[in-house]
Amino acid sequence: MRRVREVIGVAVSGLTSRKVRTLLIMLGPVLGVAAIVAAIGINESSKGHLKAKLQELGTDLIVVNASAGFGFGQDPVIEAAAVGRVRRLPDVVAVTGTRQMSDIVTVPFAGAEDYYRAFPVPVIATGLDLPSTLEVPLVSGRFLNGFDESSGARVAVIGRDLADEYGYLRGESRTIELNGLQYGVVGVLDYVLLEPSMDSAVFLTFTAAMEDWGLDDPDPSRLYVRAPVNTRLVAQEIPTVVSLGGPDGANASVPTDLLDAQSQVDESLNNLTKMMGGLALIVGGVGIANVMSISVIQRSSEIGIRRALGHSRSTIAIQFLFEALVVGVLGGIVGAGVGAGVVWGVAEQRGYTMVLSVVGLAGWALVSVGVAVVAGLYPSTKAARLEPLETLRLG
Amino acid sequence: MNPAGPDGADEVILSLEDVSRIYGEEVQVRALDGVSMEIRAGEFVSIVGPSGSGKSTMLGLLGILDLPTHGVIRVRGVDAAELSDAERSRLRGDAIGFVFQQFHLIPHLTALGNVETALLYRGLSSRQRRGRAMEALEQVGLGARHDHRPVQLSGGEQQRVAIARAITTQPGVVLADEPTGALDSRNAENVLEIFHDLQTPDRAICIVTHDLHVADSARRKISMLDGRIVSDEQLVRS
Repeated sequence: MRRVREVIGVAVSGLTSRKVRTLLIMLGPVLGVAAIVAAIGINESSKGHLKAKLQELGTDLIVVNASAGFGFGQDPVIEAAAVGRVRRLPDVVAVTGTRQMSDIVTVPFAGAEDYYRAFPVPVIATGLDLPSTLEVPLVSGRFLNGFDESSGARVAVIGRDLADEYGYLRGESRTIELNGLQYGVVGVLDYVLLEPSMDSAVFLTFTAAMEDWGLDDPDPSRLYVRAPVNTRLVAQEIPTVVSLGGPDGANASVPTDLLDAQSQVDESLNNLTKMMGGLALIVGGVGIANVMSISVIQRSSEIGIRRALGHSRSTIAIQFLFEALVVGVLGGIVGAGVGAGVVWGVAEQRGYTMVLSVVGLAGWALVSVGVAVVAGLYPSTKAARLEPLETLRLG
Repeated sequence: MNPAGPDGADEVILSLEDVSRIYGEEVQVRALDGVSMEIRAGEFVSIVGPSGSGKSTMLGLLGILDLPTHGVIRVRGVDAAELSDAERSRLRGDAIGFVFQQFHLIPHLTALGNVETALLYRGLSSRQRRGRAMEALEQVGLGARHDHRPVQLSGGEQQRVAIARAITTQPGVVLADEPTGALDSRNAENVLEIFHDLQTPDRAICIVTHDLHVADSARRKISMLDGRIVSDEQLVRS
């Protein structure tokens, strides 16, 4: 034990006496470990973020878009009757159709015409079940109801971002102007994570859309379908159910699959970064071997005198190996710290929850120690093989 | 530690028996050619000779930093060639102290740290190491400068630190290679005086030099030429 302490003491004093050089050779393992830890940590954190998002969105929502049929000059639509057919499918618990209207300029407040003409607000005709199908609550007020639909009342629900821009106060009775027609705002819909465009949209009933905006039929162009079990099977059936062999086509997709795919893409990026970190570690190792070899030559007189004082070849080798070990340990710890710091910074900036495995940190720090020791083998063997007589230059 | 014979002062510390050292394979250089000699405890020996006479080779062999091509080197009766590197290193550390012309102090260590280096790996506590190193420094008159680094010391002081390092392990023999070669005459005289003070009945001093003044201050002078001993005489000190 005392011997180990002595070896560590000699190694540390050898390193601290050449601080700049020690810092430079430590840079290799620091950068390598930091790169790997940051790559894994950022990926894990963002994957954790995606997973949380998936959890929030639910993986059982299907989005069905009408695709172009044989009708010319018309936007593709899904006939209203198809909505009922989809609703009757087994495992489907909720269906809502929507249709985005065009050429409507929305002016939330007087004097904002120019801005909202340049950046039009989406106006969406929707079925009454939208909040329950999307599982999005209302921030205030109520959603469109059966009376609104049957009477064709000029009422609207707005998205949360629009409400913020609008300066809408909870419970306030205000109107919003659509091409000069005043609509009463009855409620504000919370953020729709899956359709961020809805956050700044105006929702109205299909009846109002037909009466005020010349829509011929209450045919939606998009369906939101909630199917908690057999989601993918249901998604496969929907196009057939919609078209029934007719000209109206439809594409069904599960949007959360895209997020899943996104996390797969991140996996390959992750591997690439890990490989680059590994490469940095190896280059760091080569750096250690290189600088320590030069150090052995520069310190040959010290090695010679130690041999003359009775230190054996193996003691000299162990001394140099310990110097490499100390570089590896410190480099690993600092690198893990820097990497964790980068992950924290990125997580903080992007609003992720930081995910970092302590075992992983320790593991990569150990890899750095391993690389340093392997890199130290050559110079320490070289140091041990030096002939004291050649280095001491006797007179 | 020192297995002194019944007559301690006469114990043979180093012996060369018909030792030759040949360098090179194709072109062979016979640096030492069939040399036999002994160094006993309490002796003050000088080895003189011109450049290339084999005195440095002899010093390397006496210090078992090198092994002979032929012949036997014994340190306290043990054949050095039969030991492993670790055993030979330990024997060297225990029995032999070295002083070099270029001092060979480790630049990043203090005077005390340099002396302590000789006491590493001997199972001493750091307090014991410090105590013994300090004692040796005081013996060469540098106790007050123990925390100075080599660059802060004069040549003479550096050589005294090197001498302290050589004696702190209580070796049976101190081998010195031109110890005054890099010093001015005043410091050289001072260092030589220290060597004389260090000579005790159970410690031998062996100085390799081409300085006749240094050589003549010894009690026994061995002269070398072309790898052989040409004379080995006892001097009577005035």
